[in-house]
Parts: sequence; structure tokens; C-alpha cells
Amino acid sequence: MLEADAITKHYRTSRGTVRAVEGVSFSLPKRGTLALVGESGCGKTTIAKMVLLLERPSGGAIRFEGQDIATMPRLALKAYRRRVQAVFQDPYASLNPRLRVGRIIAEPILAHERPGRAALDKRIAEVLDIVGLPAAAARLYPHEFSGGQRQRIAIARALAPRPELMVLDEPVSALDVSIRAQVLNLLQDIQDEYGLTYLIIAHDLALVQHFSSSVAVIYLGRVAEAGPTGPVFADPRHPYTQALLAAVPLPDPDHVLSEAAAAGEIASALHPPSGCAFHPRCPHAFAACPASVPPPHAVADGHIAACHLLQETHA
Amino acid sequence: MALSIPVSEPIARRRLPAWLRGAPWLAFLVLTIVLVCAVGGEDILPDDPNGLNLADAFRPPFWAAKGSAAHLLGTDNMGRDILSRILAGSQISAIVCAYAILFSGCIGALAGMAAGYFGGIVDAVLMRLIEIQQSIPSIALALILAAAMEPGLTTVIVVIVLTYWAWYARIIRGEVMTLKGRDYVNFARVAGVGTPTILVRHLLPNIFNTLIILATLQVGQVILFEASLSFLGLGIQQPDISWGLMLADARQYITSAWWLITMPGIAIMLTCRSANILGDWLRDRLDPRLRQL
Amino acid sequence: MLLQVEQLRTYLHLRRGVLRAVDGVSLHVAEAETLGLVGESGSGKTMTGLSLLRLLPRGAGRIEGGSIRLDGQDLTALTEADMARDIRGRRIAMIMQDPMTSLNPVFSIGDQVAAPLRYHDIASGAVLRSQVIDVLKRVRIPSPEQRLGDYPHQFSGGQRQRIVAAMAIGCTPRLLIADEPTTALDVTIQVQIISLLKRIQQDAGLGIVLITHDLGVAASLCHRIAVMYAGQIVETAPVRAIYKAPAHPYTQALLAAIPRLHATERRLTAIPGQPPSLIDPPEGCRFAARCPHRMDRCAEPPPVVDLGNGHSAACWKLAA
Repeated sequence: MLEADAITKHYRTSRGTVRAVEGVSFSLPKRGTLALVGESGCGKTTIAKMVLLLERPSGGAIRFEGQDIATMPRLALKAYRRRVQAVFQDPYASLNPRLRVGRIIAEPILAHERPGRAALDKRIAEVLDIVGLPAAAARLYPHEFSGGQRQRIAIARALAPRPELMVLDEPVSALDVSIRAQVLNLLQDIQDEYGLTYLIIAHDLALVQHFSSSVAVIYLGRVAEAGPTGPVFADPRHPYTQALLAAVPLPDPDHVLSEAAAAGEIASALHPPSGCAFHPRCPHAFAACPASVPPPHAVADGHIAACHLLQETHA
Repeated sequence: MALSIPVSEPIARRRLPAWLRGAPWLAFLVLTIVLVCAVGGEDILPDDPNGLNLADAFRPPFWAAKGSAAHLLGTDNMGRDILSRILAGSQISAIVCAYAILFSGCIGALAGMAAGYFGGIVDAVLMRLIEIQQSIPSIALALILAAAMEPGLTTVIVVIVLTYWAWYARIIRGEVMTLKGRDYVNFARVAGVGTPTILVRHLLPNIFNTLIILATLQVGQVILFEASLSFLGLGIQQPDISWGLMLADARQYITSAWWLITMPGIAIMLTCRSANILGDWLRDRLDPRLRQL
Repeated sequence: MLLQVEQLRTYLHLRRGVLRAVDGVSLHVAEAETLGLVGESGSGKTMTGLSLLRLLPRGAGRIEGGSIRLDGQDLTALTEADMARDIRGRRIAMIMQDPMTSLNPVFSIGDQVAAPLRYHDIASGAVLRSQVIDVLKRVRIPSPEQRLGDYPHQFSGGQRQRIVAAMAIGCTPRLLIADEPTTALDVTIQVQIISLLKRIQQDAGLGIVLITHDLGVAASLCHRIAVMYAGQIVETAPVRAIYKAPAHPYTQALLAAIPRLHATERRLTAIPGQPPSLIDPPEGCRFAARCPHRMDRCAEPPPVVDLGNGHSAACWKLAA
């Protein structure tokens, strides 16, 4: 349904070129869920913005049902804007504080069609019902709701124009633990019920494993490892994925955290390290790592990892 | 685990409706008086503001020795009642404020929104214009304009608008640039909402606060600006009455009759301060996020 | 006992009413012990931390009752000047969530790490410089001698949090309050800061109050855990007991609601509803409205039930 083909995004700044995204490819089948994970500054949000047409790729193409979204004809583009919706991280920043909830939810509908007053109110009540809020919520302002309820409103707004693909940018990371589960369950129910496709941006690996069918681990604008979530998490092949997984603190006092898995911190996208961008932090780095960018290597069906170690062992 | 504790006396007053709690009544009163005088005209003045009576000149305020209850704030060098002149002067202040703020606010907000939202070449052109405008001293601008046009009310307003639109535009531009990155604007763009709708529905209501603040801050500055222009002889001309003109006239008597310069000064100060206080309060009330506090 | 808090009540006097942010909290921390104060936003955990330092929002926040004893000395009885001179930064230090706002961008990090030492008259001149270098070494800032003159923006996020930690431990405090010290950091950096805090504790034997919403971080760092809900502590236990045998329904629900790595369940057990307003909290158990085990008695304040081995919970179900 959605396909990214070697997309890149460079920003020119006064201090040089920021290589935010460097040739990222992935494909997302209908009704599937793909998670983009990685540390802040790795480029995952930029990718989401390109899918949402908020940014234009510097190279490569994003295809929706086989059509490049950058060169879509007007009509198809308009349809794309209806069929792809988004839920953002911060429910306090994503709802206009000056508008009533009904108006907020009506907006994406009105951008594409002109239903009558009664039909519109009915649609609003419907989507509010789906997210578990009373129809009366439409008359209130966003500040009259708690964080979790606001995120429900944001989900209702995204659902209103009956989309097929939803981009979820850290949809629960601003919410409290006890509210997170409510919202995650809601998103899963909606997906099951309406056959939606999800592209989710997240940094919480436990959440990704729970929520997503496939995953792409991004490091400094490149895919380090990608594949079905189960195999990738059970048998991570890229040292970065291994480090990420080892660093997750588990709610289990017997679990021992490993600090050694990734030394130092992520480099700036302004001056990415040569070759494999992870090599300065990698415990297994060797001569080939700074010399060349490792190509993606298929380690199992649909499971790829871009690491020189794998080239060595398979050569 | 803890026993229930009786809630102590709440600090807030309970009788007023919530949105009026803590309203700046004094500031409100001062501005109402100014407005009433501005609209009411000469009929409500205690005395003729232009009535000469040289025999009664330099009468001090009523509490001082030789003061008189007929002239509460005393009289000036021509024996005109100062209180009446201050009240009459508020008319000029109100007119100048209304027009200057309306025009400079609208022009500035439009320019600022365009520059902030569209960026690129629109932004570059507008910003250069703003920089050029701000590099010309406003008094110099006033001198040129006063030479080209006739000194008077219109000139004062034109000078103030030309001076202040850039101030609005610069601040609104910055505001819009932040708002533009807000997720609700992003969402509207994602959903295919058109640019005019985004500008009107998402940006304008959210810069309204800033506009209110800027406008009320400007009230003080406009009054001062008008006063300085008139003081310099570039603004309001006799026999029209303005606070600035009163200051200018009083300058030579500053040592002998202090009230001539002090009274209009206090009027300017009270009005400016009241406008600022009211602006702060309005901002708090207008923001739905702050309303609940 | 290093820190002993009894029945602490801290209220915020807001225009819309009195918010009972901390409502009868009792806890204790021993030397070289880490107590995790775990709860959701608005549960009062941060206000509890600020109350220990008496750094409450000016005008609105007040300690209404209870005692805070540090080495036996009641902090609620001290004057503001005594707090500033002897306690804050000297015997109780604090690390906050965001290292970017904890550091002043216009001063070099050498100056900022030296400031508390200078203020408390601990060192000056060359001794001061060597102490600053020493404390920066202890938080593993590479080659601190060369970096004293550098400014916060020249350091990465993880290093900034290390510098904040250096400022906190410079005066060898007895107690460290760490308020979400790793929340703003990426997971691979978080693990570095967690082990730094552990090492600091081992070196100096100081007590730590770790304020966090993350049950994973709490598990990896704490010896004991106190779970807060709606301004009260609902359960206190050694770390193993909290995770292996949670007694309070809220703790149980919280643990069931988080997705776990390497677990396979497709659905999370969500906690219905939301925490109550602390302006007008319910008379009885504050979790009752969301609790699956609710009974009639929950309308009365629940008793704190001692379950042995330092494990206690406030719940009627356990009292039966």
C-alpha cells in the first residue's frame, strides 16, 4: 500500500548539510503496522513528515498504491490527503485551543466534502462514539479534557474523513502509564474494525513489539535493521538493535541492564561518521566499518540488517 | 491511609462571576472616564477649556493656598481651567489611539502573517521593508511628513501608523512561525485544508492574544508619541487641545507653576498604565487555556 | 534513619480551590538506599520531592502538616535562611528532568559545577578547581581539565545530565532527589545515567529518592518502591515484592497496563477512567472508582495494612 524507495532528505543550513534521511526504503502492506524506531534525531519523524507531504524528499520516491505521491495528479493528491491521516504526539499541541471539539473533528471532513449540518453532526457523534467519548463532547473546548481524552479527540479527528492509512507519531508517549493502555487498545480495535494501515513512529521498544507487526530500526537516517517484529526482537542481528534492546529497563528487578552495548551518544546528522554511522559506538567495529556503508543483508525471510559483520560471516 | 482533612478556606472570592474575578477595576474606571470625555464632548466639561480669563491665571489646585473649588486642578497661564483642558484633551488622545492602533495593527498583522506563514521571498521582501522602516528615526519621519503634509491630527496618525506597523509585523511574524509548526496546523495541512482556512481559523484566533497585548501596550506609546509630536509642534495645533501640547505650553512655567506640567503628565501616566493593566487582564481572560485557572 | 517523613501534607492554594497535592505521605530512606517514588503525573510525587527541599511554588504551595526529618532534624521547623544555607544543595541535592533547562547557557560548566561549592564555602581557589575536576571525573566527563571553560551547548544531552549530576554531588550531600532524571534521554543514554547514579551511590553512600513514572527505570535502580496515587502512597515494599507480589489493586493494574518486551499478549489490561481531582478528592479510597475489587467499605479511608518484610498497602481488601 505504502512504499518508500531510497528516500533521502537533506537540509541545507548555514553550518552545512544536515543528512536527516539517507536512502530509507520500506514497504507497508494494507492492514499492516510498520513501526519506525530509533533515538531522537535519527530521522524517523522526518520520514513521517515526508509521507504526510509536510516535507518534500530530496531524493527517492514514496509510492501510495504504486503512485509516486510527489507527482500525483491533482485529483489523486486530494484523495491521498483524505485517505492518509495523522495522530501526533502531544495532545496539548495538536488540538487548536480556540476551536470547539466538534469544529476540530469537522475540519478534515469539510476539507473534502460538504455534508449537510445534520449529516455532519451525525458523523462527529459517530467518531466520538468510536473513541469512547459522549456526543456532548463536541460542544466543549480541548482544555476541558484530560490528556488521554484529548488524544481520543485527536484520533476521532483523524478517523473522521474515513482514512485508510494513519501515521501515528508517538501517539501515547505524552500520556500517563494507566491511560496509555486505553489508547493503545483503542487504536488496535479501530484497526481491526476498519482495516486501517498504521505507520507508527515510536521510541518505546516494548510498545512497538506489542503494537506493530513489522519494524524498521533507524540510525542516523539509515535503516539498520528491518523485518517482522517477532524475529527482529527475538534475534536482533544488527549491533545497534542489540544495544537498543539491551538498554530497555524492564519492570523486573532481576533483569540486569547492559551498559556496554552502545558506548557514547548518537552523532550529529550534520557530520555523520564515515561508513557505518554506528561504528564509533559499536562494540564489534572493525576495519571495514568506517570504510564503507554496509549494504542491507537478508538474514531471513523479510528480515534485513545492514552490518559488515553479517557480510563477513556469510562471505 | 490519610484521614480526610477539612478543606481550608478558599482564597478566591465567591460572589463575582468567575470571569470577573480579579478584574482591574481602577484601570477600567480610568479608561472609562477617558472614553466618556472623548465621546461626551464639551457639554460635560466643568468649564470652557478655551475660556480665557487672564485675571484668574496661575491659580493653583484647590488644596494649595489660593486654590479655588471652581478650578479643581488650577488654571494655566491664560487662566484656562486645567481639569477641563485635560478632559477635553482626552478626545484627541482617544481619536489618535483608535485610528493609529486600528491601521497599524491591521497592516502589521497582515504583513506579519504573510511573512511568517509563506516564508521565502514574501518573508524576505517584507523583512527588508520592516528593516528599512525601523532604521528611520520616527521623529525624522514626522519632520518630513509634517513638511510635506500639514501638521495636525492626520499627520500624527499617519506618522504613528508608519512607525508602528513594522513593530506589529515583526512580532506577529515570529508568532506565526511558531504556530505554523504546531501540530494542529500540521494536521490541517495533512488533511488537505486550504491555506485561507488555515490562516483564518488556526492562526488568526491564536495571534489575537498577541494583538490585544500589542494594542494595549501601544495605547500608552501612542499617547506619548502624540504628546511628543505636539510638544515639538509637529502634531496637534492650537486651538485644539492635546496633552502633549499642554506639556509644551507649560514648559516655561515649570519652576513657577508646577501644576501646569504635572497635571497633564499625571493624566498621561494614568491612562498609559491603565491601558497596560487592562491589556494584561484581557489576555488572561481571552485565552481559553487560562480561563480555568 | 537518613530521611523520615511522617504524614506530610502539602497543599496548593489555587484560584479554583485548594489542591491537596500531597495528602498524608509517610516514607523513609536509609543511607545508601534508593527509594523509588512511582506514580502518574499529578499523583503528587514531584510535589513530595519539592516539599523535602521546601521549594514549593511561591505563594500557592504550603506544607500544611507532618514532619520531614533529615538525620533526626525536622526541616519543617527551619527558617528559610537555614534551608538555603544548610540543607539545599548542601545536604539534600536535586537532579531534574531536563538537563538543558537545569544548566544556565551563559556560564561555563566549570563555573556552574563550582557554584554550589563556592556558595557553601567548601572550597576556593586552586582547591576548588581540583575539586570541580574531581567531581566531573566521577561523573565520567572525559578530560574535564580541558572542558571546564566549555558551555552547556557544547555537550551532548547525556553529558549535560552528567554535569547536572556533578553539580548535585559536588557538596557531598546526604540525600539526592532525582526527579525523572532519565525521561528526556534516549534509551541507550538512559542506561548510562542509571549506572552512573548507581555508582555515585556506591561511592558516597548517599540516599536517593528517585521520582519516576517508568516502572522499568524504577526496577533497575531502586531498593524499595513507594507507589503514589492521587496524593497518597498506596503501597510501599522492597523492589522485588512490588513487581513479584503487588498487593494494592492500583499497583497490580499499573503493572498489567504496561507493554512488556518479549511478552506476547495482544491486548493490554487498561485501567478504566482517570485519577480523581485533588481539589475535591473522594472521602474514602481514591482508587475505588477505577478499582475492580471495589466494595462498600471503600467509601471510608482504607487502613494501611502491614504485610510483613517492610511491605505495606492501604486497601480494605487486605484488611479483611
